[in-house]
Amino acid sequence: MPSFKLVWRNIMRRPLRSVLTVASLMIAIFLICGLRTLITTINAGVEHADSRRLAVMSATGLFVELPMNYQAKIDRIDGVEMTTKFQWFGGYFRSLKHFFAQFAIDPVSLLAMYPECQLPPEQKAAFIANRTSCIIGDGLLKDPEMNWKVGDTVPLIGALHPHPDDKAWEFQVAGIYHSSVPSFDNRTMFIHWDYYEETLKRGGVEPGVGVFSIRVKPGADVARVIADVKDTFQDSDQRVDCQTEAEFQRQFVTMFGNIPLFVGWIGTGVLIAILLATINTMLMSMREQSSDIGVLKSLGFTDGSMFGHMIAQSLFLAVLGGGAGILLSWATQNAIANGLGANFPGFEVKNETFVLAAVVAIAVGIVAGIVPAWRASRLRCVEALRGTE
Amino acid sequence: MSEVMIRVNKVSKAYERGNETLVVLDQLSLEMAAGRFYALMGPSGSGKTTLLNLVGGLDQPDSGGLFVAGENLAELSSSELAHWRSANVGFVFQGFNLIPVLSAIENVMLPLSLTPLSRAERKKHAELALELVGLKDRMHHRPKQLSGGQEQRVAIARAIATDPKVILADEPTGDLDRASAQQVLELLSRLNAEYKKTILMVTHDPHAADYAQSIVHLDKGQLGRIEDKQPAARGA
Repeated sequence: MPSFKLVWRNIMRRPLRSVLTVASLMIAIFLICGLRTLITTINAGVEHADSRRLAVMSATGLFVELPMNYQAKIDRIDGVEMTTKFQWFGGYFRSLKHFFAQFAIDPVSLLAMYPECQLPPEQKAAFIANRTSCIIGDGLLKDPEMNWKVGDTVPLIGALHPHPDDKAWEFQVAGIYHSSVPSFDNRTMFIHWDYYEETLKRGGVEPGVGVFSIRVKPGADVARVIADVKDTFQDSDQRVDCQTEAEFQRQFVTMFGNIPLFVGWIGTGVLIAILLATINTMLMSMREQSSDIGVLKSLGFTDGSMFGHMIAQSLFLAVLGGGAGILLSWATQNAIANGLGANFPGFEVKNETFVLAAVVAIAVGIVAGIVPAWRASRLRCVEALRGTE
Repeated sequence: MSEVMIRVNKVSKAYERGNETLVVLDQLSLEMAAGRFYALMGPSGSGKTTLLNLVGGLDQPDSGGLFVAGENLAELSSSELAHWRSANVGFVFQGFNLIPVLSAIENVMLPLSLTPLSRAERKKHAELALELVGLKDRMHHRPKQLSGGQEQRVAIARAIATDPKVILADEPTGDLDRASAQQVLELLSRLNAEYKKTILMVTHDPHAADYAQSIVHLDKGQLGRIEDKQPAARGA
């Protein structure tokens, strides 16, 4: 095969066209990385779900509250080891632009049930001891306007639950937690249930619970516990739905539709479009080089080496574009994660996704080069030199 | 006759053009001695370039045998022909056909990349070839930075870089002015006289043909006559 220098010079024969093709490939690979990451993020929550944890919510929907007294009834069900509760607080910091998830929780049971919520022992103790304190995920600190530290006071406007004194809620940062699994969002604030409940009651509001989380005893029959939980509230005012944490995660992220299918279609479309664009570029390039191919063959280069020469050009474009796309994905993943916020907690481009993107780029390079490479290899020397091809 | 370098034995070649079959070479037989400079002349359509392409292994005859540099070309596969070309034949085309994105020395090094020579050796060979054609000082120029005559001399340097036995030139002076054409013809004569290259040059130009030792006339795909003569006085 002719030298790499000739491959490079032929690519740069039409610099603008090559740059545009590389840019298209970069954007396509960037999109594929992003779209693939949406799917892996959804799946990560499911994959890392604790098989002993169950979620209980209103059978009507996630946004309908359950009475607090349900917790005691759940605790009595055979096979239940522990319960904790979550209630969406729905506040915002300064403006709606700084929206992030906040939940009222019971610190002791939450930290016991979710060991993946990791924070230093002294911060854990401080959080449990101070009823007006909170803990925040380290993912939130990536936002320069929310770069809080332990000891800071965070004022939140209670959009969903206004403060009875008609002022902002204030929480002292007792700790900054790190999530060891993608399924536990690292961009959330947790506040004391007791403080939340007392404050609301002072304003005459009876708080409810969004989700009860259950940890079943080791060896317990999970299916039976689920059935028992549902049966317990079958005749109550609020019937409940109970499901495994994995199923709950899956439903939460797909409540806007079948995201993996949708994302898959977009990804396939992007892939086909860039493949066609690259094939077109390579066909134009091959036509421009047909006389050179005739000369190279007359010098003794074989049909096979001409095939390789064209494939190398296509592959080189694809590797450049793919590499740039992968770099762009890597560089922007934090910004995208911040942009997606609590809708897709744990958005992080996995190494497997980078490998997949690299494989896709290489495959595009090879596939796009096959037709022009085949034509180059079949090109008759005499016709190419005569300029009849 | 001394050692035969090119033996054309009852070679026929025809092209399909629509419904018409155009016979370009018709049972042509011819022998050319090693180390001689041949000019191939004849009217348009007489089969000169076709014969040149067949001798160079760029095309295959419909029938007949072609023996060049001791090889029966009809027995070689496409890949074997390519390897044979790289070792035995150097081409010089009317339109120079240098690779435009490569410099003069890179063009000359191209055929050498098919040899087992190291990069340093390839560079040295290419520099020698360019020196021989008087263009060492232009070796880093791209083709578009050279005059037509210089381009053709680079093409000749490329043709001789691998030290082939046969040089095939298709109207090498067709696109050149008189002075450049004379330089090219003198160069070919020198390659024949000093390096004993067998040269087969297609030309319409009787003045160019004067540089050859033999002139082979083709007419309607058949051998006309062969004029054996002494080469013209150099620099006349």
